[in-house]
Amino acid sequence: MQVEVTFLTRRGADAVMRKSQTVTAEAIRFGRGTDNEVQFPDIRVALRAAVLAPREAGLVIERAGDEMLRVNGEGVASATVHPGDKINIGPYEVVIVEAPAGFDAALTVELAQPLGDALERLLSQSHIGLGSAGWTKRSLAWTLFSLCVLFALIVPLAVYPFGTVVHSSRSVPNFASIDLVNMSWNAGSIGNPHRFFAQNCATCHRAAFSSVPDSACLSCHSDVGNHVQASADLGPSGPKLQSMRCAQCHEEHRGVHSLVIQAQALCVDCHEQLNETAPKAGTADVTGFPAGHPQFRATLVVDAAKPTFTRQALGTKPPPEDHSGLVFSHEAHLIKTGLPTPNGHKVMVCADCHIPEPSGQGFLPITFEGQCHSCHDLKFDADLPWREVPHGDAAAVKIAVDDFYAHIALQGGVQDAAAPAFVRRPVGSPEQPTEAESKDALAWAAGRAANAMAIIWDDKRGCAYCHVTEHANGNFTVAPVLMRARFLPEARFDHSKHAAQQCTDCHDAPHSEKSSDVMIPGIESCIACHGSERADLKTQSTCTSCHLFHRQEFGPMKTANAGQ
Amino acid sequence: MRANVPADGDAPSRPLHEEDRHTSFLMYRRFFYLKVATAAVVVAIILYLVDVPLGEPYGGTWAGYVLGTVGALLILWLLWFGYRKRSYRSNQGKLEAWLSAHVYLGIALLFIATLHTGFHFGWNIHTAAYVLMVLVIFSGFFGIYCYVHYPRLITDNRGGITMPQILGRIAVVNDELRAVAMTVDDATARLVTAATERTEIGGSKLQQISGRYPNCATTRALHGLDEVAAHVTPERQAAYRQVRVLLDEKAQLLARARHDISYKGMMDVWLYFHVPLSFALLATLFAHVLSVFFYW
Repeated sequence: MQVEVTFLTRRGADAVMRKSQTVTAEAIRFGRGTDNEVQFPDIRVALRAAVLAPREAGLVIERAGDEMLRVNGEGVASATVHPGDKINIGPYEVVIVEAPAGFDAALTVELAQPLGDALERLLSQSHIGLGSAGWTKRSLAWTLFSLCVLFALIVPLAVYPFGTVVHSSRSVPNFASIDLVNMSWNAGSIGNPHRFFAQNCATCHRAAFSSVPDSACLSCHSDVGNHVQASADLGPSGPKLQSMRCAQCHEEHRGVHSLVIQAQALCVDCHEQLNETAPKAGTADVTGFPAGHPQFRATLVVDAAKPTFTRQALGTKPPPEDHSGLVFSHEAHLIKTGLPTPNGHKVMVCADCHIPEPSGQGFLPITFEGQCHSCHDLKFDADLPWREVPHGDAAAVKIAVDDFYAHIALQGGVQDAAAPAFVRRPVGSPEQPTEAESKDALAWAAGRAANAMAIIWDDKRGCAYCHVTEHANGNFTVAPVLMRARFLPEARFDHSKHAAQQCTDCHDAPHSEKSSDVMIPGIESCIACHGSERADLKTQSTCTSCHLFHRQEFGPMKTANAGQ
Repeated sequence: MRANVPADGDAPSRPLHEEDRHTSFLMYRRFFYLKVATAAVVVAIILYLVDVPLGEPYGGTWAGYVLGTVGALLILWLLWFGYRKRSYRSNQGKLEAWLSAHVYLGIALLFIATLHTGFHFGWNIHTAAYVLMVLVIFSGFFGIYCYVHYPRLITDNRGGITMPQILGRIAVVNDELRAVAMTVDDATARLVTAATERTEIGGSKLQQISGRYPNCATTRALHGLDEVAAHVTPERQAAYRQVRVLLDEKAQLLARARHDISYKGMMDVWLYFHVPLSFALLATLFAHVLSVFFYW
């Protein structure tokens, strides 16, 4: 058959170049190979792709290779084609057209899918550069930035207004909010006593961008003691002390155990020049411990009557004296071989008289009834040993003695041979005394009373055994006794912490003969074991180891509306 | 660049453009910024040792605030490098100088910020900021390694030609393949078509960096040629030989291109940590500083 084959080449949208040639063959073979009637010079086409041959039904196109033909869009192995049908072989489009005169068939061939620029195709398939696919640095950066802004900034700020202030009298509200979010701005562990409201930042942080006010602390700790007496004259240091905030010394967020700053520099800051800036305070300068700490000054009784006190440094020569008004010798009581007591022979030890108070810090006050009476009785008549004079009231002593003898004179039954008959009569006798007998009985009673009083008042066996007495112009007085319980009231020594030591390690009682001896040890006794706050080979000690800042006895340091 | 014209009679031992000769960013100006950074770290350590706070050292002591402020300003300046890098017209210091300073002061920041923490860490945004900073700096260490190690490999791999030239050559080889393979059998033709039409250069991040292309059509075409080699008719031998030669050449070009992509990928991938993390750090740092003032 004779077929007109027209090759179409499109140039732009409108122009079409046509190149026709006549092919005479039994069948028109299409393919890449050069032996085809219509050669498709494209590697995308099989060597022999299709064959167009006339059949009884008409023109039939059949595939020759493995790939299906597409006739009018449908994939077929063979099909009868008529003018107007489109056949796609690889990238080529073959259109059957009306055969002009003299031809059995006509078709047009066009490269419908040109390859185009090879480099362009190569580049379009290439994804060079890490940012060309998937996450870019910018998208990752924005994502992480937004996440951080959300969780580190916005959420904690949003949660803040919902915290409530916790008072000690109210139960803590249970928050459902996430602990991690709530605590994500926490800059350090909360101290142990405050952990139960650690989630509610607003308990202490009352306003944003401002420090924790004193009122926050005072809402629970309302009567913390002052450091000085309210009337103390501290000079310029006074306002400085008053203006200090609780939080300056009590730092939160510094660990589960620490809330109080223990460093001595905090105290030394003021105390190293307090003697110059506030001389009326009477505080010696301290620059550190142990170096820079002055010798201890004990508060001693000067005159128990007024009373007046003094503060004197220990370890001086002559040594300081405490005038308690008592006559007492520790040495006489602590005899190693023992003492005869009403309860038998006894070797006395410190604990026999000095009873620790329940906390163990100090000792119970010394009283006559508690400590002395068990051995020192106040009997005044050897024949009648069942009466003692009252203790503690000098005026009552004479009255008691007078009354006593008057009573037994009246009662009778006295065994004394020198006594008047009336006095010696048996007890219960119904005789009434005559006037003379009364006088005699009175005189006898007065005489016996005088004898007793002579011992009580004027003899060393009487009150003067332990007390300082004065008997002048018919007046008998016992000097008041003032025994100090605390010789170092500005410090706080805890005996229970030193229980492993012996009393005599610090108090030289066995050698103290006079009650005016001050047996409180000086600083040299302490620094044998106690060193500075960073000591390696001694017990680390700082100011607060022995001294209290807040003294309850001085009243509250701040009032409730302080520090707004 | 300044052109130094040598005066007549000058000894020829000095290169023409002394100042413009390339030095590594680490050795820039004879380690000038290393010296600056070392001095800064020494000062920071002295400050940390000298300040004995009332409690323990942490970010809120006097020294802590100084170190924190310095550290924060350093972080902002270090971030600014990303902007300066892209300001091509800027004349505020040479970029080389900026990079050298960025690297050494970034290392100094590690010390300064660690001293600022007072070695107190916890589960909070403050430590989170510190951790992010450490990650940024350590990713920077990896970046330094890449910048020192890979350029030589890239240069050696390219062998004097550029990447566009390699791609151009591959495109030309593709065209040649299509022409030369015109007379081969259909199966081979399909392999060659696949090789020319599906040339994988680059791809996913993992593929680019690993340089492994298991579905490479060119490789498959080469294997396919091996398989049919025994059955090739004598008249087609020449064509098959030519196809094989071209495929081999293309394979070599592809290997070069892919190595280049892999090396450049390594020189870029660390920035996918360094940059996003530093923006995360920026946000967290801002929160850290704000929280300090918020809960003053």
